[in-house]
Amino acid sequence: MSEEIVLEAKSISKFFGTITALNDVNLKITKGEVLGVVGDNGAGKSTLMKVLSGLYKQSEGSLFFSGKKVNLNSPRDSQNLGLEMVYQDLALAGNLPIGDNIFLGREPVKKVGPFNFLDHKKRKQLTEEHLAKLKINVKSADQKVEELSGGQRQAVAIARATAFNAKIVIMDEPTAALAVKEVGKVLDLILNLKNLGVSVIVISHRMDDIFSVCDRVMALFQGTNFAESLLKDTSRDEVIGWIMGKKD
Amino acid sequence: MDKSQDSTFVKLIPFFEKFGILLLILIMVTVLHILQPDVFLSWRNITNVFKQVSWQSMLALGVFMVIVTAGIDLSVGSIIMLSLMGLAIASKAGMPWYVVMLVAPAVGFLCGLFNGLGITLLKMPHPFIMTLGTLYIFRGVGNLISGGVPITGFADEIRVIGNGKIKLDAILGEGTREYIPTSLILMIVIFFIFWVFLNHTRIGKWIYAIGGNPGAARAAGINVNRILIIVYTLCGFLAGIGGLILAGRTNSAYPNAGLQSELDAIAAVIIGGASFFGGRGTVLGVFAGVMIMGILRNGLNLMNVSVFWQQVLIGSIIIIAVYIDVLRRDFSTRK
Amino acid sequence: MKFFISLITTTFLLFSGSLLAGSHAKTIMLSTKGPGAGNPFWASVEAGAKDAAEEFGVNLIILSPPQESDVMAQVAQIEDQIAKGVDGIAIAPTDPNAVAPILDDAIASGVPVVYIDTNGINEGVTFIGTNNINGAALAAQYICDNVPAGSDVAILQGMITQTTGQHRAEGSHKGLEACGLNIVAELPANWDTAQGMSVTEDIITGNPNIKAIFASNDNMGLGAIQALKNADMLNDVVVVGFDANPDAAASVAAGEMSATIAQFSYNMGYMGVENALKLANGESIPDNIDTGTVLVTAENAADFM
Repeated sequence: MSEEIVLEAKSISKFFGTITALNDVNLKITKGEVLGVVGDNGAGKSTLMKVLSGLYKQSEGSLFFSGKKVNLNSPRDSQNLGLEMVYQDLALAGNLPIGDNIFLGREPVKKVGPFNFLDHKKRKQLTEEHLAKLKINVKSADQKVEELSGGQRQAVAIARATAFNAKIVIMDEPTAALAVKEVGKVLDLILNLKNLGVSVIVISHRMDDIFSVCDRVMALFQGTNFAESLLKDTSRDEVIGWIMGKKD
Repeated sequence: MDKSQDSTFVKLIPFFEKFGILLLILIMVTVLHILQPDVFLSWRNITNVFKQVSWQSMLALGVFMVIVTAGIDLSVGSIIMLSLMGLAIASKAGMPWYVVMLVAPAVGFLCGLFNGLGITLLKMPHPFIMTLGTLYIFRGVGNLISGGVPITGFADEIRVIGNGKIKLDAILGEGTREYIPTSLILMIVIFFIFWVFLNHTRIGKWIYAIGGNPGAARAAGINVNRILIIVYTLCGFLAGIGGLILAGRTNSAYPNAGLQSELDAIAAVIIGGASFFGGRGTVLGVFAGVMIMGILRNGLNLMNVSVFWQQVLIGSIIIIAVYIDVLRRDFSTRK
Repeated sequence: MKFFISLITTTFLLFSGSLLAGSHAKTIMLSTKGPGAGNPFWASVEAGAKDAAEEFGVNLIILSPPQESDVMAQVAQIEDQIAKGVDGIAIAPTDPNAVAPILDDAIASGVPVVYIDTNGINEGVTFIGTNNINGAALAAQYICDNVPAGSDVAILQGMITQTTGQHRAEGSHKGLEACGLNIVAELPANWDTAQGMSVTEDIITGNPNIKAIFASNDNMGLGAIQALKNADMLNDVVVVGFDANPDAAASVAAGEMSATIAQFSYNMGYMGVENALKLANGESIPDNIDTGTVLVTAENAADFM
């Protein structure tokens, strides 16, 4: 874990009409760091992540990728900067097959004359390779996502986030729907990414998750920064307290 | 997931999904041939059926794309009328035939664009509302510009698409009366183009994604509004082509053109297996749905059956087709 | 499941059956604008056609679109019957312009065509229907006979863009003028009851001495009567309608509407089939056949209710 800051959010505020979802929030993460983000429902965690990914545009504040200020107009912009996201609701199109979902928006194409046509073979091949690498067991890469179990769908969402050589991966409640064995796989994956120098932001309400993989943890409370600490300097009880808005 | 325990019926479902509809058409054709042996499979009758469905198939194809995005376009019947009126006025104004022919799809294009912009920019809660409004607006405008009376009489070149015949003398010998209707060729070409578009391009894939989960499409960086505008515009454009076909067939821009044909278009799409919930359906299915309705009407006409029975049958088939869709969703979705 | 659909479809098709034609009887198609089940006018056209078919030994096929606005359905029905093989067509065109091409095809294929009720635009095709000019003249004559010379009178026109509207306006205008009456207003109310009422209100406000109103159809006539009642003028004004629909006949019997003109829709069906058959047999027929009109007053109103 180096000291190079790969992503920094400064003074982020987000208003939805009269509702203030985020107020003057700061976040930074260094290369190869695993940052845990905690907070109660409505604290603003998912909203902050969606600002980082470009799905939402912040009302105030700025984002910096590798020290350079950026304006994100769509998730594609953050993807191009090397940021991938696993959404809390997975953001998968159930009517489409696994491969289609993994490559949605950036499907491999082949050029025929002036036109770009989908390269179905390449998409299927890349999907199968990636699923094998992650040891994800499904009947076929052509299976529609709606036919999969909750755990398999989660695995597909994670596969999508790790298929594009991301520098930063955000995971919003990645273990929420999983059985014990599958949780272990996800935590192992996060550590693998860390070892490869990928920065990971993990939102979770499960202390086991936070305390097994994170280097640092920060808490949001009612849309603002509430507390922050290196893992080794804090305890489960203290972090749980932060979630409930208690600080010494 | 272990499928070996499923019954044979369940295993056959994917097969039926893809090809069941063609099987149904085959059965209908066989039955009608038995009941009307001298007429039904005659060249004349078959070409009649294609000519009769050609303009409706354009509406159905456009409405299909819209339905895949989990939307609806109720205004296609009115768009076909307005584009027909536009064509007629251009024709009477003395414009050359190649310009006149372009007016119909151009008007359709603009109407579709109007729908798309209205739905996205005005943030209508559902396309049903916007296109319900334009159903009245477009037909009203058509009546205003025509004065509510038919405009009749177009140059032969303009009528080629709807009324043209490609004679088969060269192949089948001198004096043959058999021909291939130009509208059939047009239908095949257009359906092929849109089949490629929906199945082999990125935008086609995104159309299905939006129907399945618009949030997922957004998260993937897809500009959902832009795609919706494209889809509704294409739907209007296709209705405009339908208007061009009608111009050929009836040689008249008449006030009742396309009245209530949006319902027939939706029926063909649903019978063809598209899901009203969006995200599902095939171009082949739409073609089949159009043909089923056309063959049904033709067969019952030949047998002198009351149009009321036709209405009962078509309505029943719609409900049964949707019921099958409901069953399919139950079987294939894991809860 | 889809097999069940085809099973049901097959069953319905088998139950409907097809008409069996005698080998020498001609087949004539009657194509009306709407089903007889929904409209007494077409029901009596069909009745006339069926009687003619029986009398002349004709194989009769009756088809109509599900509603009068469904032009393409009528086109498709004609197309299908031509393919099947008919010897003649008697048609009330839903849209004379839009069906013209398919009728040209029919004639070119050797299938003769006659129009009934509504005239079409194809050249050389006989029209069998009400001579609206004569019918309107009949109404004008009644008015002439029942109001003093020189009185103020008005005409409610139908849709003046349609030939029916034009002919009734023309026939009534000529007739009323010829007997020296003063036509103070000729306004369109588009065949509609409510419009008939509001136009009449305007007319009687400006012309309180009006003695008669000719309404080009019964609907407008009934609207006019309502306006006159509201102004307490009904007893002083003669109102004549056109169509003799059951509501108008009842109004005549009750002494509110003075008279109306009846069309012979039965004749349209009868003569339509008769003349289509003549053409199919190679005989020639006149260009125009008037199916006749008759004046309906309190004496014979009961026949039309």
